[in-house]
Amino acid sequence: MAIPKEAYQALEDIVGEANISNDPAVLDCYRYPLTHTAIHLGPYYRVYTPRGAAVLLPGSTEEVQAIVRLCNKYKIRFKPSSTFWSAWGFPLEDDTIQLDMRRMDKIIEIDEKNMYAVVEPHVIGAILQAEAMKLGLNTHIHGPGSSCSCLASATSLGGLGPDTLYMGHHSENLIGAEWVMADGDVLKVGAAGSGLGWFCCDGPGPSLKGLVRGMIGANGSMGVFTKAAIKLYPWPGPATLPVTGKPPAYKAVLPDNIRAYTLGFPSWKAWADSCYLLWDNMIGYVAHRQFNMFGRDLKGAMVKILSDPTRTLYDIVELAEDPETRKLNDAMMRDYQIVLAGMTPADIDWQDKALDVILKQTGGWKVQGMMQPDLYDWSLLYMIRLGHKNLNLVYGGGYDGAFGLGGTPDFGTSAAEEGGIPRVEEVTAFKREWEKKGNIVASGGDGMMGGIGGMGGGGHGLWENFTHFDPHDKASTEGTLEFFNACSQFGIEKGWGPGMEKMNDYARWTDGYTTPKDIHDRILSAAAQPEAFRYQRKIKETFNPNDLGDAYYRTLDDPGK
Amino acid sequence: MALKDFKADMERCSQCSYCKWVPLDHVKSWRFAKGCPSIAYSNFLSYSARGRYAVALSLLKGQSTITDKVVDIVYKCTTCGSCDVADKICRYNLEPLEMIREMRFHLVEKGKVLPEHTRLIEHIRKEGNMMLEPAARRGDWAKGLDVKIVTREPAGVLFHAGCRASYDKDLQETARSAVAILKKAGVDIGIMGADETCCGGRVYDMGYKDDFKKLAEQTVAVWKKAGVKTVVTACADGYYAFSRLYPKLLGAEIEVFHITQYLDRLIKEGKLKLRKRVPLRVTYHDPCHLGRQGEPYVPWDGKEIKVKNQIVVYEPRRPRYNGAWGVYDPPRDVLKSIPGIELVEMERIREYAWCCGAGGACREAYPEFSGWTAAERIEEARATGAEAIVSACPWCERNFIDAVSATGDKLKVYDVIDLVKQAI
Amino acid sequence: MAVKKELASVVSPKLISDDPATLESYARDESFVRPMKPRLVVKPASIDEVPAIVAWAKQTGTPLVPVSSGAPHGRGDTVPSVPEAVIIDLSGLKKIMRIDRRNKVAMVEAGVTYPQLQKELAKAGLRLDTPLLPRANKSVVASLVEREPTLIPRVKWASLDPLRCTEIIWGDGHRLVTGDAGNWTSMEEAWKRKQAAVGPTGPGQADFYRFVSAAQGSLGIVTWASVRCEVLPDPHKLYFVPAKRADDLLDFVYRILRFRYADELFILNNASLASVLGGKPARVRALMEELPPWVALVGIAGRSILPGERVAYQEKDISGIAQQFGLKLLPAVPGAGSGEVLRAILNPSPEPYWKNGGRNAYQEIFFLTTLNRTPDFIGTMTAVAEAEGYPVADIGVYIQPLHQGVNCHCEFILPYDRANPREASRMQTLFTRGSEALLREGAFFSRPYGIWAGLAYNRDARTTEVLKKLKGIFDPAGVMNPGKLCF
Repeated sequence: MAIPKEAYQALEDIVGEANISNDPAVLDCYRYPLTHTAIHLGPYYRVYTPRGAAVLLPGSTEEVQAIVRLCNKYKIRFKPSSTFWSAWGFPLEDDTIQLDMRRMDKIIEIDEKNMYAVVEPHVIGAILQAEAMKLGLNTHIHGPGSSCSCLASATSLGGLGPDTLYMGHHSENLIGAEWVMADGDVLKVGAAGSGLGWFCCDGPGPSLKGLVRGMIGANGSMGVFTKAAIKLYPWPGPATLPVTGKPPAYKAVLPDNIRAYTLGFPSWKAWADSCYLLWDNMIGYVAHRQFNMFGRDLKGAMVKILSDPTRTLYDIVELAEDPETRKLNDAMMRDYQIVLAGMTPADIDWQDKALDVILKQTGGWKVQGMMQPDLYDWSLLYMIRLGHKNLNLVYGGGYDGAFGLGGTPDFGTSAAEEGGIPRVEEVTAFKREWEKKGNIVASGGDGMMGGIGGMGGGGHGLWENFTHFDPHDKASTEGTLEFFNACSQFGIEKGWGPGMEKMNDYARWTDGYTTPKDIHDRILSAAAQPEAFRYQRKIKETFNPNDLGDAYYRTLDDPGK
Repeated sequence: MALKDFKADMERCSQCSYCKWVPLDHVKSWRFAKGCPSIAYSNFLSYSARGRYAVALSLLKGQSTITDKVVDIVYKCTTCGSCDVADKICRYNLEPLEMIREMRFHLVEKGKVLPEHTRLIEHIRKEGNMMLEPAARRGDWAKGLDVKIVTREPAGVLFHAGCRASYDKDLQETARSAVAILKKAGVDIGIMGADETCCGGRVYDMGYKDDFKKLAEQTVAVWKKAGVKTVVTACADGYYAFSRLYPKLLGAEIEVFHITQYLDRLIKEGKLKLRKRVPLRVTYHDPCHLGRQGEPYVPWDGKEIKVKNQIVVYEPRRPRYNGAWGVYDPPRDVLKSIPGIELVEMERIREYAWCCGAGGACREAYPEFSGWTAAERIEEARATGAEAIVSACPWCERNFIDAVSATGDKLKVYDVIDLVKQAI
Repeated sequence: MAVKKELASVVSPKLISDDPATLESYARDESFVRPMKPRLVVKPASIDEVPAIVAWAKQTGTPLVPVSSGAPHGRGDTVPSVPEAVIIDLSGLKKIMRIDRRNKVAMVEAGVTYPQLQKELAKAGLRLDTPLLPRANKSVVASLVEREPTLIPRVKWASLDPLRCTEIIWGDGHRLVTGDAGNWTSMEEAWKRKQAAVGPTGPGQADFYRFVSAAQGSLGIVTWASVRCEVLPDPHKLYFVPAKRADDLLDFVYRILRFRYADELFILNNASLASVLGGKPARVRALMEELPPWVALVGIAGRSILPGERVAYQEKDISGIAQQFGLKLLPAVPGAGSGEVLRAILNPSPEPYWKNGGRNAYQEIFFLTTLNRTPDFIGTMTAVAEAEGYPVADIGVYIQPLHQGVNCHCEFILPYDRANPREASRMQTLFTRGSEALLREGAFFSRPYGIWAGLAYNRDARTTEVLKKLKGIFDPAGVMNPGKLCF
């Protein structure tokens, strides 16, 4: 046994025999293959995260606290995760116990008047949305979709998604948290700490929400969050989504005050201009360049396949070459999807008229091909519920995102030099060349998916260039790795630095274990402000004195140490 | 096929966890969002399709062995196929249900079986039924019924009663009603009586491929000898076995109907008139093997190819069994034809229905898990305000009857046939 | 003196003052905190001078009290709590570093005031959401860093909005830029790449800017900040929804918040609205009589696309909503017209400061809660005032929904005559007893000035412990405004 026998026995005493296991096959279910999605490193063919020492299913904050205290006593690393969909939630080292937060799945309360919910770790977006909708409310669903944990996104991971321009980034939406800190003490952040409710995450005085997370969270490396208060938003639609259709072509006909469009633009400048106009006038409920993840050349075919239950992926080549589909692709080349939601008939009418004005001013259009009923109803449901996000992997089973071009819309859509090619087209051309090698799906170079607004009200976004491959195929996987390495190099040459494809190299290395210190330090030292990570080291030493997390929480030693 | 033939699937599983839930578009509440009874009950990831992919891969790679825990993981699954549907909403290249069955074949080959299953199989080999009852008593349900025995005289349509309906005292009347209704509608109906044997569907689900093949071959041989061309069954397991497994594994061509399809047709053709009022608010439970697994069989023999460099497709075009074309409407249409019946739907229906808990031989091997699963469904039925839960499979009905009785609930349990009988 | 000489070794002596009158002006404020004279006042002329001052303070163990707004101050945070403190007055740092219309963001130094910024923003077609009639010399950065409530709930996605990026000089002397700007190696290069300092989070996995929020300068000094602006509204109208009781307005306000209609949205009682309208004491008194007891103020604005139409349909819809709750949306109420109130709230407070309510001083008790609880707190404050013999009719109430309606700022404004010793003494008692009673009722003093610090931290031992540990990280020498909060 990798952890002391008496420790295992004590852990079993805490959660009960039915809720702990160290069976090797069970433990292997808690290993993530590094050929897979949203981990922004690799892919590394047939490399897995380390096997845990045990997996536990705690059922309450008290159990979590007891576990963490025990881990401190025996100096055992622990790693919590809710839905386990990314390598971020898995151990970096041997002898780590995995906490599966599945049993803590309650919605503690929904305060309908003040528009917030208090949830446990395993409440997924689809469930919170369904319950909120009964009360005329909605929740932000972050990019990976509604199968993911709201708490995890808000406290520990990223947090932006298609509805962010209206419903905020989950970092903004977190208004309270209950946190079993890595030292075993429980902190309730904000008003909840004073027993006054969950309505505010800040204070008294300096906001400890700043300790919970920054641009991203600690990825489960600094304790366990057991409750989160999540801000909710208005939903002027039906109490239950009226979903019909045969799988996979589910669709919903919603009342006229909720409308979905795909917008196309004649140039990238026009595309960017439209984003700013939307934000200036606060129009839009959901806005995201979503379907482009299938690739510029294939998205027309894919939306047709997905919205027709008689079609399968087998039809993609024929459909992609069909003239009607090509027309659709052309119309959608510089596109994004938008949902308008009006609180009243006058509200939706104004918003739609205003959108038409924006389109007129920018030379854009509503893509007519996406307006025919099946596609319209399908895309509306898709964007509201975001329940199809493993479509990221539809082609061959593997995907990851390259580049990023994060920042203002002007950054991604403009050229580095006057008269040059917009960055978005530069990376498209670059990827198109690599597609010719055969290891990644030939989707048209531009697989860039991203939000129209990476924070509430808009402001910036991210262009994740979807790269699809087959994780079962060695050449494909290794070819994808080669491509990502080339993307990083391209980014360095272009001055924007390595992109999303290398985001987690600082934490996990090619063998699935912690990145060697010299490499880790080199990566973090190259950041604009390494000082931030030195402060994080102090924070870690203070609040995680036995270092029971892992390198996902970024730290740098002081120079000279 | 062998377990290693699913290695590509195992490596392509992206660990998204969709397999645990109903299709996310259909989530309507916290209470009834779950799709997979196995992980809902047991909680460890291993008890989901995603988990079983990982377990299978671990075994193949020699990283683990078949422990009692692995046996538990493999068999504590009702093979309901909810994971298969949920996966296929977005993934076109995964067959988790097939893989789960393959795991069972693998364990049976290795002799890693459950004593409860062993007991059943040994009995089936001797007595040809799942009920641990003597073969000689199989036809007792039809005593006094004026109906042809097809092994003695030909009939236009064979009614296959199935093991559960043949022996279960509470459900025999349903089988008798089925025959009576079909006769009244002018159908030239016959039964096998004591010569009927298990369809083998459950045997297949338990992992006993060879036993299934023997049973199926035996059944097909008897049918051929008796000149049977059309089979109607009131058992969803039987329907699945005859319409999906028999052609697939035996190349048999039989016209197979579930009784609800047949009744629906008779009603729409005016051959069966339902006149008496049955004032009842009911909700309908889609049996897994009639609903999402009740899609028509499409023969296919092909291979995986790649297009656009790395898009995995199959040549020729492979049928995509994702529950889209299961038998959902005929039972509902039959119920709606009954005067006085008010049909209300549960949250999880059709291809995303919650399982009754009986399947995969879980009722026999894991009665607590099976009972819990059924109780969940009863809870869901009660939430609709229905007075009765109606199904189209005797296994579902037995599990519901037991669950209702265990809780002292007042919810009634019917088969569609029972209500049609009341309406005649 | 030795200290002055030491400090003069790191900044120009011209920036340092030990003039008694000057020191006296920082020794006390309008609050009841114990006066304490600082040893020196240093007024940096450039933000580049700040790190050296902080480093010096750390090295010498000198308490440092940051001030960014002009006098008078009123919350006790700028008055030293310990002797031998040095005031670092940033009010002279008045550079507006950048206004970016397209990205609706402005970058300002710590001493930039609201009127200064709004004037420049207007030229670019922008406007910043402001607090309710801030003082003309109020620092924008200080106001936002201290989490002062602003008037437009629907643009507050983040609780600290419109504050975005910051530059912080921590008590340990290190400099950190937070938010998007924290990921840049060069601002000029970033602007060439058309980037903007618009995102507030990070860098990394801590939101460092939240540590200095409502910290009363006890962890670090913010030298500049970027702020998210709105497009200058045109047309811009203000409406009144009067009511007899505050309770009567709540459902209406909740509905407006739910619809995300309206720009400005807040509730005043007659006393506070009369004070906003201002004027001589007699006029304020007369207005208090004339105005409705309670009023919700609703701003409706159009921006660049179909502005007139937007205003028109929102007017109609909001009027309909008001009707549903038995209320009326009106362009005027007895005593107040839309034009004059809108003018008032779009501008800083004239002097004397509006909260004086026609008297010569005031105290304020404010906290966070949820809108539905505000009537309970009004009842509590009223009861305490009655018990202390303070005229209930004089209590100004200001309720400001925040964070798109998730919580609200609830404020009681208590004008009085400072020159009258009995009134002053009574006010001190009222302030203390009122604060205690409101705390018992469930008030969340998220900005714990003065005595509220003790009250707030006594309720939350764990937060107190964690804050002290944070203090140990960012201000290990304990020089930043010691004695404030729980430090």
